[in-house]
Amino acid sequence: MTIYKAAVIGGGPAGLAAALAASKGGKVLLIEREARLGGILKQCVHDGFGVIRFGEKLSGCEYAQRFIDEVRSNKEIDIRLLTYVIGIKKNKTFHITATSSSGIETYEAENLILANGCRERTARQVNIHGTRPAGVMTAGVAQNFVNLLGVLPGKRCVILGSGDIGLIMARRLTLEGAEVLGVYEAKNTPSGLTRNISQCLNDFNIPLHLSATVKRVFGNKRVEAVEICKVTEKMEYIRGTEEILPCDTLIVSVGLIPENELAESLSVEIDPRTRGPVVDQNMQTMQDGVYSVGNALHVHDLVDYVSETAETAGKALLQPAAPRELVKVDAKGFLYLVPQRLDLASIKDSTVFYFRTAVPRKAATLTVRANGQTIYARNYTNLKPPEMEKISIPLKPRTGEKLEFILSDKEV
Amino acid sequence: MPDIRKIKRKLKKAGFGSIEVSEKLGGVWLRGELDEYEQILECGRLAVDKKTSRGVINDIRLKGYIPAPMRIPSLRDNLYEGRTPDVLVVGGGIVGCAIARELSRYDINVMLAEKEYDIATGQSARNDGMIHAGIDLKPDSIKVKYNMRGNKLYDTLSKELDVPVRKVGQYVLLTKKWHKLLYPVVVLRARKNNIPIRYVCQKELDRKIPKIGYRHGAMFFAGAGIVSPYLMCIALAENAVQNGAEICLNTAVTGIEHKDGRILSVATNRGTIYPKVVVNAAGVFSDVIAEQAGDRHFTIHPRKGVEAILDKKASRITDSVIGRFAMKSSTGKQHTKGGGIVRTIDGNILIGPSAVETPEREDESTTCESLDEVLVKQQGLTGELTRSDIITYFAGTRAATYEEEFIVEKSPVIQNLVQAAGIQSPGITAAPAIAEDIAKFCTEILSETKKIEKKKDFNPIRKGIPCVRELPIEERAALIKKNPDYGVIVCRCEEISKGEILDAIRSPIPATTLDAIKRRVRAGMGRCQGGFCSPVITRMIAEETGVGLLHVTKKGEGSELLTSYTKEVANDNL
Repeated sequence: MTIYKAAVIGGGPAGLAAALAASKGGKVLLIEREARLGGILKQCVHDGFGVIRFGEKLSGCEYAQRFIDEVRSNKEIDIRLLTYVIGIKKNKTFHITATSSSGIETYEAENLILANGCRERTARQVNIHGTRPAGVMTAGVAQNFVNLLGVLPGKRCVILGSGDIGLIMARRLTLEGAEVLGVYEAKNTPSGLTRNISQCLNDFNIPLHLSATVKRVFGNKRVEAVEICKVTEKMEYIRGTEEILPCDTLIVSVGLIPENELAESLSVEIDPRTRGPVVDQNMQTMQDGVYSVGNALHVHDLVDYVSETAETAGKALLQPAAPRELVKVDAKGFLYLVPQRLDLASIKDSTVFYFRTAVPRKAATLTVRANGQTIYARNYTNLKPPEMEKISIPLKPRTGEKLEFILSDKEV
Repeated sequence: MPDIRKIKRKLKKAGFGSIEVSEKLGGVWLRGELDEYEQILECGRLAVDKKTSRGVINDIRLKGYIPAPMRIPSLRDNLYEGRTPDVLVVGGGIVGCAIARELSRYDINVMLAEKEYDIATGQSARNDGMIHAGIDLKPDSIKVKYNMRGNKLYDTLSKELDVPVRKVGQYVLLTKKWHKLLYPVVVLRARKNNIPIRYVCQKELDRKIPKIGYRHGAMFFAGAGIVSPYLMCIALAENAVQNGAEICLNTAVTGIEHKDGRILSVATNRGTIYPKVVVNAAGVFSDVIAEQAGDRHFTIHPRKGVEAILDKKASRITDSVIGRFAMKSSTGKQHTKGGGIVRTIDGNILIGPSAVETPEREDESTTCESLDEVLVKQQGLTGELTRSDIITYFAGTRAATYEEEFIVEKSPVIQNLVQAAGIQSPGITAAPAIAEDIAKFCTEILSETKKIEKKKDFNPIRKGIPCVRELPIEERAALIKKNPDYGVIVCRCEEISKGEILDAIRSPIPATTLDAIKRRVRAGMGRCQGGFCSPVITRMIAEETGVGLLHVTKKGEGSELLTSYTKEVANDNL
């Protein structure tokens, strides 16, 4: 039996990029549960993908296809489609058991790259009550219906949540002839990228209502109306602001949750802030040989960075495996900071960090301290939680050193 | 006969002098109008007299309130016009389905009319799936009689119908120190109905339940168990169908014609049926059917319960059932154990239910407040319960009578009417036993005019859809070899294969809606709540049934998932 250099679980953008990078070091197995590679990009017919990576605006499908073509022609990569991993055991190597129409098979690999992506939070998980009729769905489901099945999920739609998929769907549904009555966001700032607010809502005169949420759904068989309610900054309903809005569809775009059920089955440590694994700069989790990449690691806004984290992991496998020497990175003022650990044994001249600010900051300073001494500082303007930042920092931490990353408002 | 004057006095004393009280069908009939729903309930409770009255017929109107009419399918055809079954069962909940199966043992024609798009859509699917030990029931009640028999029958049913049942036992936590003093009393009560009981010390409890909220030990009832209530209901109905019974979905009873103490015909939206015997198993509408049939001697006052399902990751909380010890309140208002925590047969944690009186029989909506109440209350049992683990929540309405008792009877007023009404908790447990008696009543009535014999070829065995996730690897592999569809996973959260979903669509009572498939194989019941699989299953239903995507529904006619093809809309607007 082949012992693969790496088994990549998930054939979306992260898995594709990881498989390609890892294939330079040996045989790679790529497992995908759907019938086609590409993950959620298959249903992303809008453009804006690949600006950073390819310097051009591609649709999600086109972006994915570039990788798929490469993967398909790469002899080192074995692809298993419509194959679902039911269990992974680690002895010296990883034994991956998967089910498909050809039966139950077990594969062996030296390393494991988890590229499981994420799932959407549902209406029930954001405390929407009332009845349970047809016509309530996540933005991703609506996108699947419209773009893959060619059907409209409704004619008069209300969108809850200003996450990017929600914004994209507001435009998409409008273009397909549905009426989007409004986008409602419980927070007082939009959750999606600024460019999407402009291109998907403003350009189509779709109103965005901040500090307002959907409280209840009406209708027994199909959605007949929703109840809108204003909320305070602490997300408490403001009494007397309830308003009934007749519609036939409620689409929720209220956040993504990294899928880490497989990681958890391997006792991988999870960061409660990212809801993905704790990793070092090579995207290796706290379990040796298990890597986490893409949206399973943390939810990205741009696919270009998804591919990048995946390549980082894939490339790391090319280096000879050495025992790790891990240092914790303390982070203050961030929504999250990835990586959360540094492996001193494999550290390079500079290290890439991905982060989101905890709160919107007009002017901010990112300070890195080693044992209380500032060793790096950089100023930022206009940091927002919905927009992930990437930074490369030259670091040479020493064993036992206390490493702190602090993001603070810039003192004027 | 009830003492009308005594009840009148009681009502007057309580400030309800305006209420007209009279005798009707051996029960107490209340008429009038009041401002508050709670007042109407209060009158109903005051009029209870179990010794001399057949029940309370509470027709007091709520001022300014018109109850929503029963939801009836818009479908109108004559599919069942002129049919003359031996027995027509009204209601496709677990009671009706269990009755249909019992009746299918005999050489008779059995029809079951269910107004919804599928069986098990009401309270039978909206409960905690607990098989009750019976300790909280009055030792000499009708409820406890059927509960104890039903509890035993579940072991056989599980084997015959291929539906998993686990007798996991129930911890009833003592919430006060002095509760311990009552233990001998509870033991006596338990003995009366042969209910096994054991005292569990706090030390053992601490090992069993994390962050437990009480420190006074518990009683353990090994007889309590868990089952998927809707799967059991479906299995009973499927086995009935296998044995010749006919399940008529989307078929609502709209009127019953009776004359000289006999039902002549039953009108439905799909034609008039002429049954020899009618069984009323209409759940929350059982008093409506009783009225139509000419023997309404009771009243259903719906009691709504909200329940929440937690992620399987929360299953560490318990592997059985946890409740709290409660003294029955003296006012008789307290008609719930206050809910609890159940690890369902599928491995999720379920919390609830609550108990709220509502005049709306089909109000299955929830509110933030009702869910909060359930969560906060059950957090009292263990601090391990967290809001973020909740993946979904739902509500159902239980068919409570003022007597808080089951009605299982051959009507003394209408010769060919048999009633299984007012069946609420522990209805799931009791249903198989109730069904045995109801079937007996039916055959007794039928025997008056013809000889009723048992079917020689009755087959009690029903094979369920294989659950590939639960199978040992070798068996799973063998199954995939036979049918490769069992290898392809469609619902990734619950690991449900394409083969299982196709089985559901092709099952004896075909599941052709998203919700019907969900109840049979769990596809869409996991943490993503159908986020990934619902478009795939929608397509599978369309392909398998040949109806076209736009006709696929979530839960029957009117709940279509999609409104048009995309390009169609674009062209319309040009």
